Amino acid sequence: MSTTTAPAPKKSGFDSFNTLLVRVGRAVGGVVGILYQAGRDTIDTIIRNILPFMAFISVLIGIITYTGLGDWLAHLVEPLAGSLPGLLALSVFCAIPILSPVLGPGAVIAQIVGTAIIGPAIAKGSIPPQYSLPALFAIDPQVGCDFIPVGLALGEAEPETVEIGVPAVLFSRLITGPLSVVIAYLASIGLYAGA
Amino acid sequence: MATSLFIAPLGAPDPPTVTPPGGFFGVLASAAEAFIGAFQAGGDVFLGLVTGIIPLLVVLLTAVNAIVRLIGPERIERFGEMAARPGLQWYPIRYLVLPVLSVFFLTNPMAYTMGRFLPERFKPAFYDSAVSFVHPVTGLFPHANPGELFVYLGVAAGLTSLHLSLGDLAVRYLLVGMVVIFLRGIITEIITARLMSRAATQEGVSL
Repeated sequence: MSTTTAPAPKKSGFDSFNTLLVRVGRAVGGVVGILYQAGRDTIDTIIRNILPFMAFISVLIGIITYTGLGDWLAHLVEPLAGSLPGLLALSVFCAIPILSPVLGPGAVIAQIVGTAIIGPAIAKGSIPPQYSLPALFAIDPQVGCDFIPVGLALGEAEPETVEIGVPAVLFSRLITGPLSVVIAYLASIGLYAGA
Repeated sequence: MATSLFIAPLGAPDPPTVTPPGGFFGVLASAAEAFIGAFQAGGDVFLGLVTGIIPLLVVLLTAVNAIVRLIGPERIERFGEMAARPGLQWYPIRYLVLPVLSVFFLTNPMAYTMGRFLPERFKPAFYDSAVSFVHPVTGLFPHANPGELFVYLGVAAGLTSLHLSLGDLAVRYLLVGMVVIFLRGIITEIITARLMSRAATQEGVSL
């Protein structure tokens, strides 16, 4: 009947289809962009953080295994890492307030101990596989102990808080370090039981 | 000149099966072999690490990085405000939910910035709690701390060579890590409170 209203719904239909297309295109583009950026971040991380550490640890392990130092170290840590009292002693040692900030930086010590000593000792059978879980905590009570002032500064803490926070965290590790080993030991019951 | 260089090894009259060099040069040669041998062993380790770990890591890191970007790390700030509240029921938020989410979404060094939502007396405990989670998280979510993967991966490598699956260890490492950071937060908070009250009374005496 009316000639003026007829084109209007036609136009709005085309418009809504158009906006739908734009919306879908934008959403897909956004997701693809995010995925691409995630890939870029990943490759960046691999090249800057992971490959350098792999190179470093490879040199270390190469020397340790080739010289036979690995067997010697595995025998050395067998009584330490192969029993609960040994693991507790190890965790207390790592948590000593003066040593822990020295052992902390970049978790390099924990990574070397894990990769060059505990891992091969488990592979050789001198440490039973279920001890891998408590061992992970026994070699790591010093985590972040080198970083306390910086970490607190990132949390915008006052200088007075840093002054108290550093000893508070270091003393706490003496309790929570061995405690974490006990919890991990209890949690490791049944781990690789069939092995 | 150039041709003679190329031909010389082929047309060499003496066969390579000569007696090994003795004396001084013999010592040097065996030392050189030992020297190269150590690095050859290291190279084999490197090859194993790159082919065994990198492919899975690339895909996993990309997927999780994309998820983190899609969700948006700024959404966890709400938990920061909740964690600042006093009272017993907010302890799990402060020393369990907030550190876990911070480490997952903000990753290693930036996770500690979430401490800015908390009052001063909780900050050391929150830092202790968050920093203690950066290794347990790597078993399942290596994106959170890619620079320190080998605490877990090194120990896990020993299990892999025994042909044991790592899933069980990774999950237990994560769960025990959560229990430990929660307890660590509470204990550090108590110690911080003690030290703060002691510092306050000492200040009062000296004044």
